Amino acid sequence: MDIGLLAQYIMNGLMAGMMYALVAVGFTLFFGVLDVIQFAHGDVLTVGAFTALITFVGVHAAGVHSGSIALLAMLIVAIFATAGLGMLIARYLVLPLRAAPALNTLLITLMLGTVLRESVRLFYPQGANPKPFPALLPANSINFGNFNLRLDNAIMLAAGTAVIVGVEFLLNRTKLGLAIRAVAQDEETARTMGINFVAIVLVAFAIGSGLAAFAGVMDGFYYNEINFGMGLYLGIIGFAAAIIGGLGSIYGAILGGFLFAALQTIGTVALPFASAYKDVFAFAVIIIFMAWRPTGLIREKISERV
Amino acid sequence: MTNALRAAAAILAAVWLVAAVPAEAKDKVKVGFIGPLTGGVSANGLGGRNSADLAVRLRNADAKAKYEYELVVLDDECKPNVAVQVATKMAAEKDIIAAATHYCSSTAIATVDVYHKFGLPVVVWGAVLPDITYRNKYPEVHRVNGTMINQNETNAELLTKLGYRTFAVIHDTTDYGKGHNEYFSAALAQRGGKIVGTFGVGADQQDFTAELTQIKALNPEVIYFGGLTPIGVRIRAQMDKLGIKAVFDGTSGIVSDAYIQGLGPLAEGTLAFREGAPVEKLPGGKFFMEKYTAQKYDNPPEAYGAFAFAAMDLILDSIEKVGPDRRKVIDDLANVKNRDSIIGKITFDDHGQNTVSVITKYVVQDGKWVVWEDSEYASGRRKLPRQK
Amino acid sequence: MLPGVIALALASLYLSALLAVEKQPLIIGLLALAVIVALGAYWMGWLASVSRSFADRENVLGTMAIVAAFAMAAYFHDDHFVLLLIVTVLLYTVATLGLNIQFGYSGVLNFAGASFFGIGAYTSAVLNARTTVPTLVVLPIGGIIAALIGSLLLLPVLRTRGHYAALVTIAFALLLKAFLEVNDVLGGPQGLQVKGMTVGGWSFNDSIELGKIELSFYMSYFVLSLALLVAAFILVRRLERSWIGLNLDALRLDETAASCFGLDVARWKITAFTLGNFLIGIAGALFGMVGGFVAPNNYTFADSLILVSILLLGGIGNPWGLAVATVIVIVVPEKLQTIQEYRFLLYAVMVIAVLLFRPEGLLPRPLRSYFPGWRP
Repeated sequence: MDIGLLAQYIMNGLMAGMMYALVAVGFTLFFGVLDVIQFAHGDVLTVGAFTALITFVGVHAAGVHSGSIALLAMLIVAIFATAGLGMLIARYLVLPLRAAPALNTLLITLMLGTVLRESVRLFYPQGANPKPFPALLPANSINFGNFNLRLDNAIMLAAGTAVIVGVEFLLNRTKLGLAIRAVAQDEETARTMGINFVAIVLVAFAIGSGLAAFAGVMDGFYYNEINFGMGLYLGIIGFAAAIIGGLGSIYGAILGGFLFAALQTIGTVALPFASAYKDVFAFAVIIIFMAWRPTGLIREKISERV
Repeated sequence: MTNALRAAAAILAAVWLVAAVPAEAKDKVKVGFIGPLTGGVSANGLGGRNSADLAVRLRNADAKAKYEYELVVLDDECKPNVAVQVATKMAAEKDIIAAATHYCSSTAIATVDVYHKFGLPVVVWGAVLPDITYRNKYPEVHRVNGTMINQNETNAELLTKLGYRTFAVIHDTTDYGKGHNEYFSAALAQRGGKIVGTFGVGADQQDFTAELTQIKALNPEVIYFGGLTPIGVRIRAQMDKLGIKAVFDGTSGIVSDAYIQGLGPLAEGTLAFREGAPVEKLPGGKFFMEKYTAQKYDNPPEAYGAFAFAAMDLILDSIEKVGPDRRKVIDDLANVKNRDSIIGKITFDDHGQNTVSVITKYVVQDGKWVVWEDSEYASGRRKLPRQK
Repeated sequence: MLPGVIALALASLYLSALLAVEKQPLIIGLLALAVIVALGAYWMGWLASVSRSFADRENVLGTMAIVAAFAMAAYFHDDHFVLLLIVTVLLYTVATLGLNIQFGYSGVLNFAGASFFGIGAYTSAVLNARTTVPTLVVLPIGGIIAALIGSLLLLPVLRTRGHYAALVTIAFALLLKAFLEVNDVLGGPQGLQVKGMTVGGWSFNDSIELGKIELSFYMSYFVLSLALLVAAFILVRRLERSWIGLNLDALRLDETAASCFGLDVARWKITAFTLGNFLIGIAGALFGMVGGFVAPNNYTFADSLILVSILLLGGIGNPWGLAVATVIVIVVPEKLQTIQEYRFLLYAVMVIAVLLFRPEGLLPRPLRSYFPGWRP
C-alpha cells in the first residue's frame, strides 16, 4: 500500500484514538474513586460541545470577532460548565447511591444519559438537526503525496497529548493527585488520614467531565459539526476502551482508547468496501476480548467479601 | 336558586349554545400530511408542511368550498421505520380521507404497502425514487413530482459535455441512494464516462475519512453524490479537510438552503439537478410565492414546497368533486388528465405518476443556488475545479 | 378474591375509556384521575389487598383477565389503531417477560433485548419471503434463532459480572444494529417487508366480515398475541414457582453462596439467558408480521433501554407489574400527542425517580408463595 495512504489512515486513527482516550480517562477516574460507572459521561460530552457552541454564538453576538478569543472563551466556558455538571451529578445522583447495589447506579446514570441527550435534542433550538461548528483553527495543510497533513489536526493532536500529560502529571506529581489516588485505593484509610472524601470525589468528577468537554470541542472542530447523539457513541467506545485497558488505570484507559482506534483502522483497511463494518469488527473484537479477559488488559484487583 | 330561576338559566344556556353554532356548519373533513419535520432534512419537510397548510387555508377561506378541511400532520423523521408507524396511524384512522406524503424516498417506498393495505389514497410530493409508483400498480399511490431518471440523465449529459471523464460515486445505502447510483451509472456509461469507484455510506454516517482517503488515491475529477443534505454537507467538508480537489456533483437531495448554510464558502461550485422549473418560472409560481409570504411562515417553501401545495390542492379538488369517501377519491384520482395546478398541467399515467419533463440545473454561486444557464460558470467567467 | 375482581373490572373499564377518548384535555384528565386513584388506593391499603387476592386466586383472576381482554377487543372491533396498540402492548409484555426471566429472576444483565426482538422479526421477514415454512412455525423458529445467536454471547456473559457484563450486551446491541444497516442481504437501512401470517390458507391480513359486522384484520393477530401472552405468562409463573425458579433466585441473590450450595452457576445462567431470548424472539417474530415491516432503526440500544425501563417501572420479577408498566409506557405517549416528542425524556426521568425513591417498582414482587391460596 502507498505510504502516503498508510500515513493518512494512521493520522485518522490517531485523531479518533485521542478522543476515545480522553473519554476513557474520565470513565477510569470515576471508577477509581467511587467504583462506579457513570454511563452519562458520553452525554456530558455532548452538553460540553453544545455549551461551547452557545458560547461561540454569544461571543459573536457580543461583537467580538477575534477567532482566538472565541476559541479560548469556548474552551474555558465549556470545560468549567461541564466540570460543574459532573460535580452536580456526583453530589446528587452518585454519592447518595453508594450504599445501593452497583446495578442501580449503572441504571440511573444510563437513564441520566438519556435525559441529557433528549434535553439537548428538545430544548436546544432545532436540536434534532446536526449543527455546524465553527472552524477556528488554522486550516492550512501540507500535502505529502497521498497524505494531507492539516495544521488544525496537528494542533489538536498536540493539545490532546498535552492535556493527557497534564492529567498524568496532576495525578502523579501533585498533592491533589496523591489524594485522588489514595481515595481510589482505600476510601476508609484515606479518610482516616484526613482527606476530605466528598471533596476529592467531586474534584475527580470535575476533572473527568472537563476532559470530556475538551474531547467534545475537539470532536466539533474535527468534523465541523455536532449533533445530539455524538456523546452516546463516544461514551460507549470510551467505556469499552477503559475496560480493555483495565478500569482504574489511567495508562490502561489511554492504551485502550488508541487500541480501539487501531482496531477500527485495521477494520477500515482490511474491509475497504464498507467502512461501516469497521464498527461491527471493533465491537465483535471487544466481545471476544471480554470472554478472554473479563476485567481488562491491566487486571483489576478485586476481592469479594462473602 | 328557585326552580323557576333554574329553568330560566337552563333555557338561556340552551339558547346560547344553539345560537353559538354557525348558521350553516360545513362538514369537517380531515386530510393528512406526512413529511420529515425533525432531523437533518427538516427544512424540506417543514416547507412542504407549510405549503400543504397554505393550500388548506386558501380552500377554507373559499366560500364556495363544500367542506371545511382540517390538516393532520405527522412526522416521518426521514426514517423508514418511523414512516411505517405514522403511515399506519394515519391510514388506520378512518376519518382521514387522503394525504400528501413524503419527501424522503426511503420512507415513501417503505410505506406504499401500508397505504394499499388500508386503502388510503396518497399523493407523493417530494420523493423521487421511480419504484414508489412503478414497483407495484397500487391504485392508492400517486405522485406529482418527477422521478430521478431524468435528473440523472441531465446530470451525466452536462458533466460529460464539460469534459469530465473520471467519476467516483458516493451514495447512501437506502433505496434512494441506491436508485441514484443505478440511474447515474447507467446514464454515464452511455456517454462514455468512467466510474473509478463506488462507495455506499450510511444515511447518518459521521466519518467519511475512510471512503475519501480511498477516493483521493483514485483521483477522480468529479465526485457524484447520491444522498441527502446532512451527509452531503459532511462529505463536502471532509473532502476539503483531506485536500481533495474535485467537482462535487449532487442531486435534488442537496438542493436546499440548509446545504449552503452548513458549508459557507465551501459550497461554492457545487452542482445539483432537480425536476421542475424554479418556483418563479412555474405557471402558478408567483401566485404561490405571494400567498406563501403573506402567511408569514417560519420556514421557506424550499425546493418541493410548490409540489406539496399542488398535491394537497389536487386532493382537495378531488374531495370537493366526489365527497369525503376514500374509494371515490381513489377512483377520481385514477382519471387525472391535464388538470391545472400551480406546477402546470398534471396527468397521471397508469401507475399514478405525473410527468415532469423540465429539469433545472443548479450551481452554487456566491452562497445561492443559481440556475446553471444564468450562472458565471456556464458563461465561462468562473471555472469549476479541474475544468479544462 | 373480590378486591382482585373489582380492580380488574375497573382497570379494564379505565383502559377502554383511555383508548377510546380522542380529545387531549379529556385524556389528561383521565391520566390525572388514574394517578390520584392509585395513590389513594395505596394509602388506604387497598393495593395490598388487591395484590393479595391476585396472589391467592391467580388462576381465576387470570381467566377473568382474558375475558376482559376479549370484551375490550370486541368493543374496539373495527378500530384498527386501537387494536394495533393492544397487540403491541401484548407482544411487548411477552418480550419483557423474557427479559424478566433473565434479569428479574437470575440477575443476568441483558441490554440487548430489542436486538433479540429484532432477530425474531428479521427471521419472520426472511422465512416468509424466501421459504414456504408455515407462518405459525416461523414463530418458534424466530425464538430459536434468537436463542442461538444469544448463545454466541454466552461465554462473555458467563465470565463477566456487573458493569463488564453490561458492556458485553451493550456492545452486542450496537454491533447488531451496525451489522443490519450495512448488510444488503437483509435489506440494509431500508429494511424488509414482512408478509403477514397465514394459518391454514386464511391470511391474517384480510379483514374479517361476519355478516354486517366488519372486524379489523388486527383481530386475528390479537387472538394469537393473547394466546402467546397467556402461554408465556403461565410458563413464567410455573417457572418461578418450580425448583428451577428457586435455583435462579438463589443465583441472583448471592452467586458465591449459591455455588457453595452446589448450584451449577453456569448452567442456570445459560438456561435463563437462552429461555429469555427464546421468548423475546417469538414475540419479535409475531410483531414483525403484525407491523409488516422491519428495519434496523426499530431495534436500537435506545429501544432496549425502553424494555429495561418497563421492567424497572413495573417491578422487577412481577409479571402483573410488567403488564401495567407496558401499558403505561406504550399507550400513554400514543394517546397524549403533546408528549409524544418528549416520551424518551419522560421515561428516563420516571425510571430515575423510581430508582431513587421506590427501587422495587410499581408492583413489587411479593414474597414467594409456595402454595397459592393455602392457609395454615
